Amino acid sequence: MFKKLIEESTGKSPWLFHINAGSCNGCDIELVSVLTPRYDAERLGFKLAGSPRHADIVVVTGPITAQSLPRVLRSIEQVPEPRCIVTMGSCPQSGNVFRGSYSICGPLSKYVHVDVDVAGCTPKPEAVIDGLALATQILQEKRRAMK
Amino acid sequence: MDFPFVKEAISQLFSKPSCAMYPAVESIAAPRYRGRIAFDPTKCINCLMCERVCCGGAITHTVEKTEEGDKITRSFNLGCCTFCAHCMDFCNHGAIQLTQDYHMIATKEEDLIVSGTFIKKPPVKKAVPPKPAAPAAPAAPVGADAPGGPKETAAPAEAPKPRDDGKPVQDPAKCVYCTICARKCPAGALTVDRAAKTWTLDEDVCVGCGTCAAACPKNAIIM
Repeated sequence: MFKKLIEESTGKSPWLFHINAGSCNGCDIELVSVLTPRYDAERLGFKLAGSPRHADIVVVTGPITAQSLPRVLRSIEQVPEPRCIVTMGSCPQSGNVFRGSYSICGPLSKYVHVDVDVAGCTPKPEAVIDGLALATQILQEKRRAMK
Repeated sequence: MDFPFVKEAISQLFSKPSCAMYPAVESIAAPRYRGRIAFDPTKCINCLMCERVCCGGAITHTVEKTEEGDKITRSFNLGCCTFCAHCMDFCNHGAIQLTQDYHMIATKEEDLIVSGTFIKKPPVKKAVPPKPAAPAAPAAPVGADAPGGPKETAAPAEAPKPRDDGKPVQDPAKCVYCTICARKCPAGALTVDRAAKTWTLDEDVCVGCGTCAAACPKNAIIM
């Protein structure tokens, strides 16, 4: 019974870890607006974690610069399985307008499996909430598969 | 003892939250919000202007030769798009629209690609009429030069008429051979020689997009 209770409650409180991989700060501001009282994703259980070791969902913004690549990968490795990786905005998916630059190592899908893409430049906060809700579903499926 | 804030605190307890209850209450984007791209392949003429102005390189096309003509598939990768709406602004035929739809969530890359297919028929070549028409264009300036004296009377008489197939016609009376039209042409169909004062149109390459007429500072091109 306790196991079932824990399983259900973990699905209702996914913790986020936010990685800025050279973003222009637009997506970061939108992510903050999602978590603060206006859009209040915390009412759905999302909480920003300070350490990747406490997180369930990783939100990556920015086009993965050469400087940030090893740090991004190290941070993602520290997130315990099952984890869900969400890319926010066009940059981590393709490089966007920075594509082809000598200092861009993206897209992120070259290095890790990306579960959810939220498109937009920047995405609307409602779209981010949609994406996180989908990520939570995927996370629950992964948890069940691990058992 | 005076507690001025008690009244405020109690009233706040019973008021509605200021938060947007998004998943429960649907929210509509602002009227001119630039969201998911809607592409109308029936209006597209494949002038390639959208691909030229796209800063993210999100617009691509593939050409497949069929019996009816070239089968062109134009695709917009929303995962690469900056939603700047340059493609919409530059499309002379209104084939591209950015909608208010902001729900662009995908688990696969293919979900973020908007595409449309249309068949572009090759230009119909008339057997006889183009032949007299082709020498007629260079002949017109010659005819204008020949009378020499009565130039003013000759100019209004030879004002060109717009063509039936939607391709540009040059007005030699207005044209200053600045070559702006040739540089603006996305298909590279125009050749303008400044020294020789010639303006030639490659009819097979021209898509009739109207960019040259819009760019002409002297309004010397008629569509």
